[in-house]
Amino acid sequence: MRVNPDFSADMVTLMGQAQQAVQTAAMQLSTGRRVNLPSDDPAAAAAMVEENTLAAGVDQFQSNTTSLQDTLNTANSTLNSVVTLMQKAITLGTEGGNGAMNTSNLTAIASEVSGIKSEMLSLANTSYAGSYLFGGTYNGGPPYSVNATDSTKVDYNGNNHQNMVQISTGLYVASNLPGSQIFSQTGSNVFDSLQALISALQSGNYTAVGAATTNLSTSLNVVSAAQAFYGEASTELSNNETYLAQEKLTITTRQDALVSADMATAATTLTQAQTALSASVQAAAKITQFNLLDYIR
Amino acid sequence: MGLTGDLRVSVQSLLNATEAMDVTSTNIANLNTPGYARRVLVMEEDQPTGTYPGSSGAQVASVHTIRDKVVDMAINAKTSEQNANSTLSTALSAVQTEFSDTTAASIGTGIDSFFSALQSLSTSPTNTSMRAIVLTKAGNVASAFQSTSFAIVQARQQADQSVVQSTSDANSILQQIAEVNQQLAISQAVGKEDNANEDRLSSLLTKLAGIMDYQTVNSSDGLTLTTTSGVPLVVGSSAYALTNQLDAAGFNQVYAGGVNITGTVQGGELGGYLQARDQVLNTLGTQLDQFAYDFAKAVNDVQTTGVDLNGNAGTALFNPPDTTTGNSAGAAAAITVALTSGAQIAASSSVGATADNSNLMKMIKLQSQAVSNGDTPAQAFSGLTFQVGNAISQANSNATAVGNILTQLQNQQSSAEHVSLEEETSNLILYQRSYQAAAKVISVIDNLMVDVLNMGASSGGYQ
Repeated sequence: MRVNPDFSADMVTLMGQAQQAVQTAAMQLSTGRRVNLPSDDPAAAAAMVEENTLAAGVDQFQSNTTSLQDTLNTANSTLNSVVTLMQKAITLGTEGGNGAMNTSNLTAIASEVSGIKSEMLSLANTSYAGSYLFGGTYNGGPPYSVNATDSTKVDYNGNNHQNMVQISTGLYVASNLPGSQIFSQTGSNVFDSLQALISALQSGNYTAVGAATTNLSTSLNVVSAAQAFYGEASTELSNNETYLAQEKLTITTRQDALVSADMATAATTLTQAQTALSASVQAAAKITQFNLLDYIR
Repeated sequence: MGLTGDLRVSVQSLLNATEAMDVTSTNIANLNTPGYARRVLVMEEDQPTGTYPGSSGAQVASVHTIRDKVVDMAINAKTSEQNANSTLSTALSAVQTEFSDTTAASIGTGIDSFFSALQSLSTSPTNTSMRAIVLTKAGNVASAFQSTSFAIVQARQQADQSVVQSTSDANSILQQIAEVNQQLAISQAVGKEDNANEDRLSSLLTKLAGIMDYQTVNSSDGLTLTTTSGVPLVVGSSAYALTNQLDAAGFNQVYAGGVNITGTVQGGELGGYLQARDQVLNTLGTQLDQFAYDFAKAVNDVQTTGVDLNGNAGTALFNPPDTTTGNSAGAAAAITVALTSGAQIAASSSVGATADNSNLMKMIKLQSQAVSNGDTPAQAFSGLTFQVGNAISQANSNATAVGNILTQLQNQQSSAEHVSLEEETSNLILYQRSYQAAAKVISVIDNLMVDVLNMGASSGGYQ
């Protein structure tokens, strides 16, 4: 076969390919990514879309966990104050019920318990980040208010609903405990118990004082149970934070494997491509120097 | 044959050498002319005319063009294929940045952020600033759909304009082929080998192959050119111009002699632009519309079953989509946020509990539900991303593969047809020597003739 006298086309193709290889390797090194556009690796780019969604999800779960922690911590510390107040009321009830107090002392104790009751009302109406902590999902105003006709009574305006918040794939926690399960549970109403104690102290009825104090102790157990709810939720959130941090790492590793360039390989490829390019350029320069015409004089 | 016969033979040799040098100089002059195939001089021995059979000259039988028509045709076919693929890749490339995960405002990122905002709101359902953020993120989703849809529409329109340009380019070449055909017919009629027009024809056919694929048939009136579906383009000296007509969607269809050939053109730039416009981008646009429609409808369906912060029944979050007709066409371009205030987000399930987030949780669950064609929103976007990336990547690797074959074929073509400077230079020396030798023979004969003529003029006998 006759030798192809026109090697310029071949040369151009070879140099073009070598140049392309250099560009690709340099691009990978400078961006640190193997896949910059979907066409670089369609399957990896498509998988990356779902990994990004998962990663954004984990970020959001972390953020949900943090904000829930804040809400639950606030509720929990509020309940701590509630417990302190109730213990104080129980102490006062025990003192008032031992029969050693005179009327003026009983009146003084009654007004102290009355103070505890209004403090309790204010604690039950605690809000955090614009919403009441103990109103269920009612949003029409404070969950507890003094009855308009009978000022000794405290009404619950809230509902018995809990909001669920997602903290991980398929994992939901309640973000609140309605007041109806803490302060105003049927048969164990904190406000009613306090009011009964106040009335008994004012009337000097020691038996009634004792009964009211016992009721308060029952209510305290209910509040303690509520504290346990917040404690458990808080532990779950902490565990979840650890899990999410690991999950995030796993996703990042998968994302890296999908689109990141292997720097060592990219650097080696760049060197090889540069060598190939300079070799093809030099070859082109050498070959085009020869011509029979140069040798005929 | 005597001296005069020899003289005649030698003069013919001189002329032969001159002709040979003509051929060589033509070859050298056309070293870099596209479509030029090298010429060779074909010599043949004269039929002996004298008494002695050994004494005959040589004459130029023909000037022959070395052309490998099989390879030429293969090159044209592969050129069509390569151009179609590289054109397709280019026509699609503007769209794919919309699907890159480095694009911050992509549909995928937008939807992720929308669900994140819903999640944040679920921790504090009455928070007005979080509600406002949800609407902002919904707006980002809508504008991402719009901008991706716009990119697709724009790429289709650009491909459409290129279709018109390619049609007119093809027409100009078809016209030239018809003219060359006519001249070749004239040459053929007088039995002359018309190398120059053969070269032109070859070059024109390669050019046309770059624009569209076609078939050729050699008939009595020269080369007949048809589309791959057999619709005539050039018959003899007549070219049938391609025309453009708008279809119902406002895109230019390509007609050859009243026949719509749009669907049958596969090769060349024209084939690439048509494939991008009518197939890849068309499908992508339709699927994007369906995705936008399904996503908006899924969100709206949950939103309208809930109660907003003011205790009112939820109204659609996204506009339109027109659920009465169920027609998704144009949904991606038209999608907007319908709500004007964050308070209108129907997070709650009941009128008395506006701090409830249970309806919001239903909306959040859409993220992992099959909302569009059996896919979650992320899967749907991932599917579109793969489709765009794969179409371009396939076109690129096809173009590379065909390019390699093309390089091989071009090598094969060049080794047969391309002028070699070395060859021509050595031919030049050879013909120069032939000329010199013939001239020398003439000079010797001349001397001999002088001797003969002087024989009688001398004083008798040799001197």
